[in-house]
Amino acid sequence: MENSSVLIFGNNEYGLEIAKNVEHKYSNITIFGLDENEGDTNDFQFERFDLSDHWDELRQKHDMDNSIIFCALKDEAQNIFLTISLRSAFADTTIIALAKNNEDSNKLHMAGATKVIPIVETTANIITDMLKKPIVTQVLHGILYEDSDLRLIQVEVHNAECFGGEYPADINWSRDHGVLVLSIIHQDGTHEFIYSSKAKHNEITNGDIFVVVGYEQDIQEFKKFIGEEKCKR
Amino acid sequence: MQYFNRLLVNFAYFLNSSDAYQRKRRFFYNLLENDDYKYKKYFDLFMMILIFSSVSILIYEVKRDIHDYLNIFNSYIISFIFFVEYVLRLWIHSSISKVIINQDEYSDLLGRDFSLLYVVNKVFKDKMEYVLSLKAIIDLLAIIPFFHELRLLRIFILFRVFKLFRYAKSFSTFASVLATKRFEFFTLAMFAAIVIFVSSVLIYVMEANNPSSPIDTLYEAFYWSIVTISTVGYGDVVAVSPEGQFVAIIVILSGISVLAFTTSLFVSAFTEKLEDIKEAKVIQDVSKENETYIICGYESIAKEVAKKLINSKFNVLVLDEVIERVEDAKRDGLQALNYDPGQVESYKKLNINLSTQVKAILCLKEDDVENVYTALTVRSIDKNVKIMSLLMNSANRSKLIFSGVDEILHDKELVGLVAREYVGQPVAFEAIHAIRAEDSNIKIEEITITQRIVENISKVGELENVDFRVVLLGIHKRETKRFYFNPIDETLLEVGDVLFVIGNYIFIREFTKHLMVKSSKKAFDGK
Repeated sequence: MENSSVLIFGNNEYGLEIAKNVEHKYSNITIFGLDENEGDTNDFQFERFDLSDHWDELRQKHDMDNSIIFCALKDEAQNIFLTISLRSAFADTTIIALAKNNEDSNKLHMAGATKVIPIVETTANIITDMLKKPIVTQVLHGILYEDSDLRLIQVEVHNAECFGGEYPADINWSRDHGVLVLSIIHQDGTHEFIYSSKAKHNEITNGDIFVVVGYEQDIQEFKKFIGEEKCKR
Repeated sequence: MQYFNRLLVNFAYFLNSSDAYQRKRRFFYNLLENDDYKYKKYFDLFMMILIFSSVSILIYEVKRDIHDYLNIFNSYIISFIFFVEYVLRLWIHSSISKVIINQDEYSDLLGRDFSLLYVVNKVFKDKMEYVLSLKAIIDLLAIIPFFHELRLLRIFILFRVFKLFRYAKSFSTFASVLATKRFEFFTLAMFAAIVIFVSSVLIYVMEANNPSSPIDTLYEAFYWSIVTISTVGYGDVVAVSPEGQFVAIIVILSGISVLAFTTSLFVSAFTEKLEDIKEAKVIQDVSKENETYIICGYESIAKEVAKKLINSKFNVLVLDEVIERVEDAKRDGLQALNYDPGQVESYKKLNINLSTQVKAILCLKEDDVENVYTALTVRSIDKNVKIMSLLMNSANRSKLIFSGVDEILHDKELVGLVAREYVGQPVAFEAIHAIRAEDSNIKIEEITITQRIVENISKVGELENVDFRVVLLGIHKRETKRFYFNPIDETLLEVGDVLFVIGNYIFIREFTKHLMVKSSKKAFDGK
């Protein structure tokens, strides 16, 4: 089931940037402010919260199992405390937490965050990539952040029989389908890159997820090919 | 006489404007005196080898006969090289042509006759300044065995060891540090000299007439005094009378104080100068590099960036006006200077060309005001150097752009973009980030098309990347500066184009090697 709402804890610049970047996908976005002196946000729903364990109201308002929570409080200790208390209350909710550094990142993982975005490391990685491989970084950013005609998407295989037992590495994706398949996530959760040595040993099966780069039209064609239409090979 | 003067002046102008002459002069100056000249270290090494060879031969021949060729090598060849070096140093020390030209212009200006006497005096004075310098005297003494075959003079070969001061920078540093305590050392020497003189005379007076005392002459008294004050005390010459022993007690106590004073002088001289020495070393190292990243400010993001650049074997220099952060950078194994990156003076002191020697200046202070200030400072010095800056508050973006920053990174915006990608395509997001992770086996690499490759592989279809299990993501064409995703087989390859490939790094390495081997094989077959 699609996630229904986004709950952002942290009425600060990070929280607002997150809200701006996910509003194209989610209409139900709420920003939660901890400080009583904080004003509300004009563009998004705003609520106050405290760190005591009273999440019933939240449960009543939102479908928590299908929501995404961002923990973006400025104070690291409060952010970790918030993450751990949300995880104890909502076992299956996706919680994405911001960490200043690797030390906090580890603690947030231990606190139960599904995904941690370490601010310092992420920024430093991007700076270093831009210095080391400027053109690659520019292209990747274009793809990743939808700033170019190219798109990076994930598609699930439903018509594995189309491939007739072929191995991923044997298919000329670019010539046959006009897209590049970068990696495959198998049903058992294992993850492999196309053309890696392991790709020779795994057949394509229904339920595999392909990570694909390509132009919109080619991707749509490819989506139909592996999932929606009968095999036309 | 006037005709001769005119001839001399014309010749001086000819030399001064001759490119060939000036080039040679500059070359020898760089080789002998310029520490930043890249070939000087090889010359210095060569000279040090000659010195050690020379001294080794001297030691060897004390108890053995040496072959004639070794003798010729030591007495003539090495000495001749040193002689040539001496003459070259004398030549480059001052310019005779410039003195003549200056005198000519000066005379013209004042409407006076050209004074040859003044020129001779000035040139003689300039050259004598070099001849009488300590280093030149050592150089001259090192050449002396060349002129004399007398065995006694061979000991002068040892002076060649002192020439090491010229070639080993650390020796010069050592001497310069001690030179800063000149006054203290002079005071110490005076104190020691007075103590030695007074104690020598005293012990002579007390002991010389005592038949059982070994001190019989003033020279022996002097020898005893030196041995005692230096706290060596060989025991071969000792005072026997109670008066003499009393003098000995005083001398021993004075000796301890002389030693303590000397030690403290050395320690304090080096402690005071240690930071300067380290700083000079950093500047010297940086000025020799051609691809340095200068990181301005050493805070959390800067630390991570520096760590990653160092791991990728890049040369990094940290500038920060806060001493604690500089110390922090040094502890992290980085070259760091306590210079304010917002001051023009800091870059002047670095003695580097920002355009040619610096790959990028990274303004990574977590303060927009400071970053704008630093960027403006750098841009005022150099229009071309690449500047990358952190942005902490989006409202200040325009100010950074205005100050000449080429790339701006806003951490909040980046977090927003990462969040956007993650909520949209979590699996794809993880996949692409796995490629970019430093410890991943799967890499995305750039392969630049060289002349060598393009002569033999003209089209994308001939690359055979699929055989190497390498994904060709696209090609960046140098001509159009555009990225072409999944190029068709007929796409032409041109020198300077960049292929973007993804795959296991071993496969990529093999593929790159294949491009070269294939190229050379074809070239070979073509012959």
